[in-house]
Amino acid sequence: MTTNGEAWHADDQALRGLVQGTTGPVAAASLEAHLMRCETCRAQLNTLALDDSLERTWLLVRATVESPEPTGVERLLQACGMSEETGRLLAAVPAMRGAWLLGVAVVMAFAGLAAAFSGNLGIGLFLLMAPLAPVMGVAAAFGGDADPAQEIVVTAPYSAGRLLLLRATAVLLTSAPIAMLVGLALPGPGWLTIAWLTPAAAGIGLTLALAPLTGLTNAAASIGVVWSTLTLSATRAHDPLVVVDSIGQLTCLTLVVIAAIAIVSKSRILELPRRQKQ
Amino acid sequence: MNPAMTPATDRAAGSARLTGIAKRYGRARALDSIDLTLTPGVTGLLGPNGAGKTTLLRILATALAADEGQVRVFEHDPATAAGRVQIRRNLGYLPQEAGFPRGFTTFGFVDYLAILKEWTHRDSRHAEVRRVLDEVDLGDLATKRVHSLSGGQRRRVLVAQALLGHPQLLVLDEPTTGLDPAQRARLRDILSTAAQTATLVLSTHQTEDVAALCERVIVLDAGRIHFDGSVAELVTSAAGRVWLAPERHLMAQHAWRTGSGMWRNVGDPPPDVELAEPTLEDAYLLLVGNHALDAQMEAVS
Repeated sequence: MTTNGEAWHADDQALRGLVQGTTGPVAAASLEAHLMRCETCRAQLNTLALDDSLERTWLLVRATVESPEPTGVERLLQACGMSEETGRLLAAVPAMRGAWLLGVAVVMAFAGLAAAFSGNLGIGLFLLMAPLAPVMGVAAAFGGDADPAQEIVVTAPYSAGRLLLLRATAVLLTSAPIAMLVGLALPGPGWLTIAWLTPAAAGIGLTLALAPLTGLTNAAASIGVVWSTLTLSATRAHDPLVVVDSIGQLTCLTLVVIAAIAIVSKSRILELPRRQKQ
Repeated sequence: MNPAMTPATDRAAGSARLTGIAKRYGRARALDSIDLTLTPGVTGLLGPNGAGKTTLLRILATALAADEGQVRVFEHDPATAAGRVQIRRNLGYLPQEAGFPRGFTTFGFVDYLAILKEWTHRDSRHAEVRRVLDEVDLGDLATKRVHSLSGGQRRRVLVAQALLGHPQLLVLDEPTTGLDPAQRARLRDILSTAAQTATLVLSTHQTEDVAALCERVIVLDAGRIHFDGSVAELVTSAAGRVWLAPERHLMAQHAWRTGSGMWRNVGDPPPDVELAEPTLEDAYLLLVGNHALDAQMEAVS
């Protein structure tokens, strides 16, 4: 407060506090008593109240106009119970866009159709595609090439492991139902519907474990080549199911454990640094 | 928690120390025996392409691990997961190259990074996003798709995200690239204000930005520090080695024809020439040129 001879006037900070309701009760009572007597302070209070009201209205307008409209995928994720923040973290990567999901659905439907009409060749195609779809999805969800802002993302304090799990889970949840539905329509044994999940888990784990050495895209591509060679060779030998029989499942589970140990023992793997020029 | 809530003790430390830092890419040596302490204020990194500036900044920003040596930022060790998180809570980083996810608006992109910077409360996060966009004069373009912005505007979006939460360490790799003179002047204003309470290190090829903004300049070449001092000290090192003449002089390491028609020669002057006031660019050219010459002499001997 300022004084001028016998008169004193409340300063702007005190008046603004009164307008915003942040002044304590004793100070507020004193100010109100003063305002009853002081025309100058009443005029200043009115000006500040008007400014404050305009400022608040303007901020409200900006908040409404500028708040980003959720994309279709974000709206869907929020409808499934995810927070706005989680939806935005997922929407930033290609694997969560409609085009990717549509691509997975088309490829799996093609493999399913082929299986329905071509017996072993179709089952081989299905076993080729089903595990690779989530592997490629993870590469597209977390690769340095996938998120163009990855260089900034890796230097944010948000847990890289959490972001990885979030995006990998989202990819699995979106591609697995499609593959399972196609698997149900196949002519082979019933367990074929889920038999591809272990190779998929092994593929994702190895891709992430190899990423720091080769880059995520190269790692995913290498896994794809190896798996394609195995499934196509088995199909040519007229026994495509051999890649997901008990020995195949055990091998894949072992690879999952090895990859998990590699990832956990070197936490920086999760940050997936890209090779950069100087 | 958001960065504004980081304990005061972390903020008070406010400096980074690099001791014996080395980094290689295959057989190429990017950094070699770098010893450096950064204190609050603006430090400029100058050096030719491939000098190691970006590698040094990426190590400071915890985007890259050094092969050898010790790094401490706010007394935290980036080699540990906990240390990296603590550093990143007080870090604003503008990489040399960064893209934008498709479909995001300007506001949405900065909001995305604010979420990653642990701004969990929606209203305060959005207020902070508005603040940084206003800082770089992009408030009016908040609802525009990032991909529809010009190159200079996109660069300012990236600067805006680096300013989120008033970071205590700002690492900016060529922040003025693609900006017009008015935007560069505005950015200098923003950065000089930020540097009043933060440690700011930037790399650039624009010597005038360094002269205008930096209290301290470091010249890197071939992965080593060749100068570390004030801008005035570096400029002084070129005193008596810049002269104007009607033509290019054979003894000049660098020479160019100025707008007045006279040639500005930089090097060891012959007697009885009209010496000119050196600039930071002259001093930088002499320094980097001398080291290139020394390297050639070493190779010959």
